[in-house]
Amino acid sequence: MTQPILEVRDLKVSITEKPDIQIVKGIDLTIRPGEIHALMGPNGSGKSTLASTIAGSPTYKVDSGSILFRGEDVTAATADARARMGIFLSFQYPTPIPGVTMVNLMRESLKARRGAEVPAREFLAELRATLAKLKMSEDMARRYVNDGFSGGEKKRAEILQMGLLKPDLAILDETDSGLDVDALRTVSEGVNALRTSDMGVLIITHYERILNYIEPDFVHILVGGRIVTSGGFDLAKRVEHEGYDPILKELGIASAETPVAEGAAR
Amino acid sequence: MATSTAHYAEAAAVEAARGRGEPDWLINARAEAARAFAATSMPAPSLRPWKYTDVTALDIEAFAPDAAFAPRMTGTAPAGGFAGTLAAGLATHSEVVREYLGAVVQGTEGKFTAANAAQWREGVLVYAPRGKAFDAPVTVHVDGREGAIFPRILIVAEAASEVSIILRTSSTAAALLVAGVIEVVAQADSRVRLLVDTRWGAATQEFTTLRAKIGRGADVQVGTIALGGLIVKHTVEALMEGEGSTSRIRGVAVGDKEQHFDFVTLQELIGPKSTSEVEIKTALAGASRSIYYGLTRVETTALGASANQENRNLLLSPRAKADADPVLEILTNEVIRCGHGATVGPLDKDALFYLQSRGLDMRQSLTLLVTGFFQSVLSGLDAPGLVEELETALREKLATAELT
Ligand SMILES: Nc1ncnc2c1ncn2[C@@H]1O[C@H](COP(=O)(O)OP(=O)(O)OP(=O)(O)O)[C@@H](O)[C@H]1O
Ligand SMILES: [Mg+2]
Repeated sequence: MTQPILEVRDLKVSITEKPDIQIVKGIDLTIRPGEIHALMGPNGSGKSTLASTIAGSPTYKVDSGSILFRGEDVTAATADARARMGIFLSFQYPTPIPGVTMVNLMRESLKARRGAEVPAREFLAELRATLAKLKMSEDMARRYVNDGFSGGEKKRAEILQMGLLKPDLAILDETDSGLDVDALRTVSEGVNALRTSDMGVLIITHYERILNYIEPDFVHILVGGRIVTSGGFDLAKRVEHEGYDPILKELGIASAETPVAEGAAR
Repeated sequence: MATSTAHYAEAAAVEAARGRGEPDWLINARAEAARAFAATSMPAPSLRPWKYTDVTALDIEAFAPDAAFAPRMTGTAPAGGFAGTLAAGLATHSEVVREYLGAVVQGTEGKFTAANAAQWREGVLVYAPRGKAFDAPVTVHVDGREGAIFPRILIVAEAASEVSIILRTSSTAAALLVAGVIEVVAQADSRVRLLVDTRWGAATQEFTTLRAKIGRGADVQVGTIALGGLIVKHTVEALMEGEGSTSRIRGVAVGDKEQHFDFVTLQELIGPKSTSEVEIKTALAGASRSIYYGLTRVETTALGASANQENRNLLLSPRAKADADPVLEILTNEVIRCGHGATVGPLDKDALFYLQSRGLDMRQSLTLLVTGFFQSVLSGLDAPGLVEELETALREKLATAELT
């Protein structure tokens, strides 16, 4: 079998500044080239924490377990090293950076990803092509990063960057939230257009909607820092129609409302 | 150092002025300033603008004045105007010099200004006559060596004139004391721009006072980018005398190692509907520090005035330090807006992670964040080529700045 893009092995994660609070409590996840995985779960279940940890956020600390990217252990690698290797996180809440234009950031990040200067002309051509794929205007690229962007604009700007950086693993953390119906279609079609057969995608979402455009091969349900069940697209549809409780009841788990931050649980 | 001390004595100052062939009125002013220098003690830390920059142990007289110092200048004045040394201007525009030199910043005000008034050589005069505009910025390059230098700049913009000056300062690694005075007279409806590019060597200590008297409808903008120097203390004062006068004082400093920046601003709103903005931003690495003391005083006559003071400091290393002390004194109820804001803090962790998640390493992310932080100041300076050059210098400085 081909080597997985991402392998998460028995990963346990706590907050760096509050090490006694463990949020991710043992997750295994394997994403192979071309696969699309959806991660669903109630608010506060640890989805973004997992995503940030895979991307290398210093806010979180890996207590045990490991993260392998294309077979290489990156558990201790810096966020920027991971990004240059090809991990991309589309943030649930993209950070505004006043004074830094999108163009400036994208030029720098493309240079970093390629490990070489990108000639201005080539960069502009790629930027224009990606903007066109996502039906976005050039004005967006001249603005300061996420500064004063509407919720939807922020999400589009994330996908624009993904399109330019051409990652091998794209983690889309609630990229669908905040997008209107048309924007959701455009962005989803954009993601599909940007996808390649060796790319792995992890879509974090609360809704079936985006999955109708980007159809997942696997759906995982995260509750209280653990993947409690996995399945196909049907599972996402079931969540959408029934909520989490019936699924949890079948599994013999009390309720999705169980607080996750219950203290040390090692 | 007895030999140096002698230079600061009244007799020496007068003799040197005579030797340069200065007119009597100026020789008298030199004598008065030298007496004031002798009679005045160093400003004490009990004075609010000097609270964090203790100069009581600094002995000005231990720094011998550099007799060969002369600023280099380029720029062409419009007909009837002047851009050259004060020494030359004394010959061709004696009335202008006599009327305004020392009229804005008196030679008897304080220790540093007295030293300057008694000791300045060559100097700079930029004179824009009524209704005339300079085609291009006048550039003044002050390049110090060692000892002490006393840059003296007089800018006179008559009614409805326009002038822009770029002042670049540099020095060697030798110990240098700089006591500068910049006087700006901006008459009705004139526009004056001054951009100061401060890149002193690592052992230079600078104490400069800039004061502008701003007339009806006149607009004065002063921008400082401070990268070099050991101690850089700039006191920038805008006297908003005329109705509808406007001023903007902006500054950016990047500190590293033991650098010490001290910005003092005064916005004195006197004329009705006068407006004044101050924005000072610093990014501090190593054990560098920045001090900001800003006073906005709105006089009873300043009906409908508005003013703002902003001071933002980014600490790039745990050893860096910033103190901000913005003060408002509002003597009329009829102000439109009068605000101040000051912040001191580290880089935004989320912003850092965001940039790192795009492949930029720690240093690149920090550099991008800091240049972004300075954009609000840099983008407002209308000197396109120079601003880019400064941004490059700024990035170069950040590339090696001490972050721990
Ligand atoms: N930096 C942090 N400091 C304190 N608590 C945190 C931090 N990051 C996450 N948490 C807590 O960890 C839990 C999981 O948060 P996370 O953001 O991963 O949830 P999520 O599944 O993404 O939720 P949502 O669906 O609302 O986005 C929450 O209880 C959250 O409050
Ligand atoms: Mg989340």
